[in-house]
Amino acid sequence: MNYMPGTASLIEDIDKKHLVLLRDGRTLIGFLRSIDQFANLVLHQTVERIHVGKKYGDIPRGIFVVRGENVVLLGEIDLEKESDTPLQQVSIEEILEEQRVQQQTRLEAEKLKVQTLKDRGLSIPRADTLDEY
Amino acid sequence: MFRYESLEDCPLDEDEDAFQGLGEEDEEIDQFNDDTFGSGAVDDDWQEAHERLAELEEKLPVAADEQTGNGERDEMDLLGDHEENLAERLSKMVIENELEDPAIMRAVQTRPVLQPQPGSLNSSIWDGSEVLRRIRGPLLAQEMPTVSVLEYALPQRPLQGPEDDRDLSERALPRRSTSPIIGSPPVRAVPIGTPPKQMAVPSFNQQILCPKPVHVRPPMPPRYPAPYGERISPNQLCSVPNSSLLGHPFPPNVPPVLSPLQRAQLLGGAQLQPGRMSPSQFARVPGFVGSPLAAMNPKLLQGRVGQMLPPAPSFRAFFSAPPPATPPPQQHPPGPGPHLQNLRPQAPMFRADTTHLHPQHRRLLHQRQLQSRNQHRNLNGTGDRGGHQSSHQDHLRKDPYANLMLQREKDWVSKIQMMQLQSTDPYLDDFYYQNYFEKLEKLSAAEEIQGDGPKKERTKLITPQVAKLEHAYQPVQFEGSLGKLTVSSVNNPRKMIDAVVTSRSEDDETKEKQVRDKRRKTLVIIEKTYSLLLDVEDYERRYLLSLEEERPALMDERKHKICSMYDNLRGKLPGQERPSDDHFVQIMCIRKGKRMVARILPFLSTEQAADILMATARNLPFLIKKDAQDEVLPCLLSPFSLLLYHLPSVTVTSLLQQLMNLPQSASAPAPSNSHLTAVLQNKFGLSLLLILLSRGEDLQSSDPAIESTQNNQWTEVMFMATRELLRIPQAALAKPISIPTNLVSLFSRYVDRQKLNLLETKLQLVQGIR
Repeated sequence: MNYMPGTASLIEDIDKKHLVLLRDGRTLIGFLRSIDQFANLVLHQTVERIHVGKKYGDIPRGIFVVRGENVVLLGEIDLEKESDTPLQQVSIEEILEEQRVQQQTRLEAEKLKVQTLKDRGLSIPRADTLDEY
Repeated sequence: MFRYESLEDCPLDEDEDAFQGLGEEDEEIDQFNDDTFGSGAVDDDWQEAHERLAELEEKLPVAADEQTGNGERDEMDLLGDHEENLAERLSKMVIENELEDPAIMRAVQTRPVLQPQPGSLNSSIWDGSEVLRRIRGPLLAQEMPTVSVLEYALPQRPLQGPEDDRDLSERALPRRSTSPIIGSPPVRAVPIGTPPKQMAVPSFNQQILCPKPVHVRPPMPPRYPAPYGERISPNQLCSVPNSSLLGHPFPPNVPPVLSPLQRAQLLGGAQLQPGRMSPSQFARVPGFVGSPLAAMNPKLLQGRVGQMLPPAPSFRAFFSAPPPATPPPQQHPPGPGPHLQNLRPQAPMFRADTTHLHPQHRRLLHQRQLQSRNQHRNLNGTGDRGGHQSSHQDHLRKDPYANLMLQREKDWVSKIQMMQLQSTDPYLDDFYYQNYFEKLEKLSAAEEIQGDGPKKERTKLITPQVAKLEHAYQPVQFEGSLGKLTVSSVNNPRKMIDAVVTSRSEDDETKEKQVRDKRRKTLVIIEKTYSLLLDVEDYERRYLLSLEEERPALMDERKHKICSMYDNLRGKLPGQERPSDDHFVQIMCIRKGKRMVARILPFLSTEQAADILMATARNLPFLIKKDAQDEVLPCLLSPFSLLLYHLPSVTVTSLLQQLMNLPQSASAPAPSNSHLTAVLQNKFGLSLLLILLSRGEDLQSSDPAIESTQNNQWTEVMFMATRELLRIPQAALAKPISIPTNLVSLFSRYVDRQKLNLLETKLQLVQGIR
């Protein structure tokens, strides 16, 4: 109702299907049921979607309450165009396996990089230490 | 046990005086609450929302209206079969006492009773409150309400009978009163973090009913859910206090009704009026249900009901209305009765709290409200279904979980967001928003000028502007006590450190500064002057906003500030006639200082600005040297050239002399003028020189009546400048920012053809390179 243009409000997004990207990288898809001034969200019929390459898998999560500070971005999903995707849906097991493999590869690549840099007398701070601000 | 007794203790026939006394007391309590939670805070009952959801799931059958003569008996029915025996036994036990009470007698006689269908109460959601279950019955024994605002705040309206005069609900814990802040979002603003509950009508609370402060109570825990017809207001709860004991499983030896003496003991000596309860006592009474409107004098309500409009469509309408596909199994819809639905007033276009909005906003809001109303209508299944429906609305109708967040709750969130826009100085607090809208306005104004499209209204930006509220907290102090009892609250937060700020005198500071290095001192001066500058720049806006009679004062203030800016720049001490350039040069050595001088110049008077220009010219080579890294001196060029157009030829001549480092009446300059060379080799220096020359020439040619001595002086300086220009090697000459157009004609008067060509090529070349 009365909020001023030029300010953002999620009120109009309520009861629509949304994709929410969390700070830890998870992707949630569900119906936005409730919000508050902190952008705390209540998602209904939520699935956690995992994308690996061209494949994705949905893990049903039910009701998801998200603390506002963890929301990186969120946007409405056009229900009409929802199925219109080049991505291929696979089973949960499959996508989890894919994800595991992907993370494994990434980890190894990272290790290799650090090792190489170390050999050259350089060091980069680990990603997790960068998080501490 | 105790709490039930206190509940019972509510006086039944309280006269107007007692009522007023209560009001006063509540006011106090209210004040305390205000101190603790801040004004505008409002309690709300999350439980109600919860109940609704529960209802949604359970679809309770609804009690049918049925009239029986006996409210007490009726209650038994409400309890459902399995509890009936117990309840009956208990009620018999109590009835005797009750009948002694005239008020109850009256109630028994006058109230028609709603008899719900047996078994309708057995649902699990009823299990929460034993006591309430017991009281519920008689409370239903009331005629169906006519439409009033109360219906939005309370499930059902209190009796209109004589009992209405005593608003017993007053005695529940006071609800946060709302502070009448202009432009504040709804008074029923809520402590942050508390979900909204009651359909309070803020403007109504505040404006209509405010001969008396509105007392509101915090929610009491055991909120019982009730299908619409069975809901009762706190008023109702209170108006039949004795009945609360009806079904209660007292041990037989405990008298359910207190004697007056017991009452007095319970209430403590301080409260002489029977039935007055302290907040703490109320806290123990589970039967009191907070409701903002219940706190209001029903008398007042009666008169105004017609004027009052609910803020939003009733949530009941779309919550309990069955989905279109499944017709209601009950006879009576669980939502507000048909009478209510029909009479539900149109939500007002704009509430009081939106009046401060920009017209554009209001238009937007209006559209949105219409939209949402349509939506709701469709959802209710009562609206025109044939109308336009977006796919979204279609989807919403299919979605049984849609609108779990009620319009009211959405409003609540919006209001919090709006609250954040409140400001005592929007321009300061909300600079970007203000500017955004100014820009929008300019854009639309420009469109209007172009003449295309319909004429749009010119709008002026009005943002919520609130007077600053001073909360001077005074700790409670008891006579003869040592120390004070300090209560921390939003307005008076507990002090972690009781630090004392001692403002040091200006002298101390300057003394200290002298110890520090000069540069820091200069930086401080720049900062101070910058603050002045920003203030001065703001005066235009303030002037426009101010009243006619305030304007002279504003102008004076501005003049004063400009003067002190100048003094800051020149480092002029009071009493000192002519300040040294040193101070100014220090400022001009710092990039921020240079930028600042460029910004200050337009505000200064011509003499002051000319003085600045002179000082700049005098010290230009040094400044140029210092500017090698920053290269911000050119930003001074445009204010300087503007200034030059206001200067008389005498000043221009002496400026040129300064620039060429000539004594005021120079006759024999040094053959090689390092000062001028440095100037010529700098972009800013050369540009300044050229502008000076051009302006001087303009003055000379436009004013033939000029004094000959002055003329001679100008010519002399001019010659020298030209000579220097000719002498300097091409490569050393800087690229001027701009070349005045009349330069060629200017030089032609002082040099011969050959030299003119040379000069021309020099400058033209320079220009060509650029």
